[in-house]
Amino acid sequence: MRPAPPADPFQLGVASGDPLPDGFVLWTRLAPRPLEPDGHGGMPRVPYTVRYEVAEDAAFRKVVKRGQAVAAPELAHSVHAEVHGLRPGREYFYRFRAGTEISPAGRTRTAPDPRARVADFRFATASCAAWYHGHFTAYEHMAREYLDLVLFLGDYIYEYGITSANMWRQGVPLPGPEHAVETTTLEQYRLRYSLFKTDPNLQAAHAAAPWVFTTDDHEVQNNYADDWSETGIAPGDFLRRRAVAYRAFYENLPLRRASLPQGPGIAVYQRRHWGRLAQLDILDNRQFRDRYPAGAVVDNSPERLDPRRSILGEAQERWLYEGLRRSSATWNLHASGVVMAQIDRTTGPGESYSNDMWDGFPANRDRLFAAWRRHGIANPVVFSGDIHRGVAAELKADWADPASATVGTELVCSSIGSDGDGAETDGSAPVWLGNPHVKLYNARRGYLSCRLTPAALTSEFRTVARISTPGAPLATAARFVTEAGRPGLNREA
Amino acid sequence: MLAKTVYASFPHDRQGGRRQDWYYRIVVVDAAGNRSRPSAEIAGHSAESVAVSGRPLATVGAFDQRSLELALAPSGSAQYRTRFPNGVDYTVGTSTPGTDWSYIQPGPADAWAGSKASRHTFRFALDVVPAGETWLSIWLLDTHASNPGTLDLALNGTAIPTVKLENGATRGSLEGDATVPGTLLKPSYVELALPTAALRTGENVLTIDKRLGSWHVYDALGVFARP
Repeated sequence: MRPAPPADPFQLGVASGDPLPDGFVLWTRLAPRPLEPDGHGGMPRVPYTVRYEVAEDAAFRKVVKRGQAVAAPELAHSVHAEVHGLRPGREYFYRFRAGTEISPAGRTRTAPDPRARVADFRFATASCAAWYHGHFTAYEHMAREYLDLVLFLGDYIYEYGITSANMWRQGVPLPGPEHAVETTTLEQYRLRYSLFKTDPNLQAAHAAAPWVFTTDDHEVQNNYADDWSETGIAPGDFLRRRAVAYRAFYENLPLRRASLPQGPGIAVYQRRHWGRLAQLDILDNRQFRDRYPAGAVVDNSPERLDPRRSILGEAQERWLYEGLRRSSATWNLHASGVVMAQIDRTTGPGESYSNDMWDGFPANRDRLFAAWRRHGIANPVVFSGDIHRGVAAELKADWADPASATVGTELVCSSIGSDGDGAETDGSAPVWLGNPHVKLYNARRGYLSCRLTPAALTSEFRTVARISTPGAPLATAARFVTEAGRPGLNREA
Repeated sequence: MLAKTVYASFPHDRQGGRRQDWYYRIVVVDAAGNRSRPSAEIAGHSAESVAVSGRPLATVGAFDQRSLELALAPSGSAQYRTRFPNGVDYTVGTSTPGTDWSYIQPGPADAWAGSKASRHTFRFALDVVPAGETWLSIWLLDTHASNPGTLDLALNGTAIPTVKLENGATRGSLEGDATVPGTLLKPSYVELALPTAALRTGENVLTIDKRLGSWHVYDALGVFARP
């Protein structure tokens, strides 16, 4: 007989993720005191049984699945319950029970049958949620959209110390000194997730729809590349840090058992389908990437053009191209942490590129575009984040020739929190808009809301005018339509 | 408790210039929060800096693990090219650290500083050449993490063997206080005996050339008579 857990253990909310046609993964983490400095959320160091139920209705009158899982201290009392045997393409509701404590309920859904002709797929993309830079108002609005899926594109947490210098979230006390240092240990990463996940708007967004994830750099450390750290941490040590960072990532998100890190490695890249409508390739562009070509973040070094350079690594590239070869989906969606479009950073004569993005790996990008051509890939669309700006771009066959064919479309969501209030435009706009294939640049916080049908992708850049204080209304900064069979962007609003 | 780390080693730095004696023991905490019994104790100590044990003959900046009193500190590297177009030329007694000694010295790997070698010149007067050894002490607040480069030193034209700098954390160009808890700054130290024959009464000129690598940031620099 396992003991009853402490009172009020569901303070970090509930979540669901990775919808398949027959089920999904349900997540919660027992944490009656989420901000305990040891990262264990106020839980005794013993395992607890957590029960869950899945219903077809929000009132839980028609429960279709019940099960139980163990919340163990080794995994910070997180629960990752993989549910199978459900019907494809429909909505479900779920909740947990630990002892006599009942969690809030969440809504989720299964993916459609892989053979289904799906008429309509509604999803959002989000990234870069620096809790300390402002309120998660964007998540608050996202939770109110009736979404089939949320695609999270990296920087769910930030590793930086939280001090009065970067605490721009008004009306909230500065977290204690244990939050003021850069996260390097397991307890620090756990505590950082706990801090961010205490936000009710983030909890609401998780409870409203299933999420899928890729990572960017701040889940571990700014700008890292495989085992390379920009602060000079020895590779062996950095891999130890990566191991605990990935472990905390797993513990705090609705990920399947297959994503439980093995040492310093975690399975991030994966392929999912939404009926016959879409194939979604979720890419990992941190764990296997090459280092900066000539040591600098921004340059135009000849080493950048080395054909051996890869942002995905050899195995992932092989997996991606093979998956594209087999694809018969109407739309082929790629989730990338960082921007894929070429962006020349120099206004006027000369060229420079960010080696932190796909621009640091042009040969890899060329190989991907070649795979699209080779396999006749229908309607490639890249979703990315990282830059804290909403950007829409056309992916070109020849970047130097604006009249060349548009081979794909890229939609970059802004940040949920990072960089504070922002503005409609800012000093970097001339750089981005100076690249003729960039059709939108917006420097507000927000997310991207999409509706995908067999005929078109409609993408709306949702923004909020401020996040330093809560309550900003939602606006739509731009709406684009991408027609099936015609890559590119048609601006509607 | 001194520190928690996931790394294989723990550099116990930032102890100041005086020798400190410490006794250490290690406790391992697993993912479930279980703690091991403490390890056996080990003893260790830091080396004493000549900046503490020596008699100062000429210095710039305070040996305090901060760059804040130096010119352009803590984050004004963008102004280096306009404020110090010909490098730094500092004369003890007439120059002042806050305006005349740039906290940062760039190297040829730094595009922001023109991708060229740079020089810091340190002029100091001696009434008499000390009888014993005279040492140079350079406390660095931080260096570039992957390309810290080298220092080519010369005293009155006499070259001193090139010093390869330690890798830092690439943070010292932005922040200037290594005593802040949790700071990423990685201070390092260069201390060496100056060639006695090269010293002279009257003005002495120490040149610090950065001909390789990226920048370093100063905490302080001084010439000391060793007791």
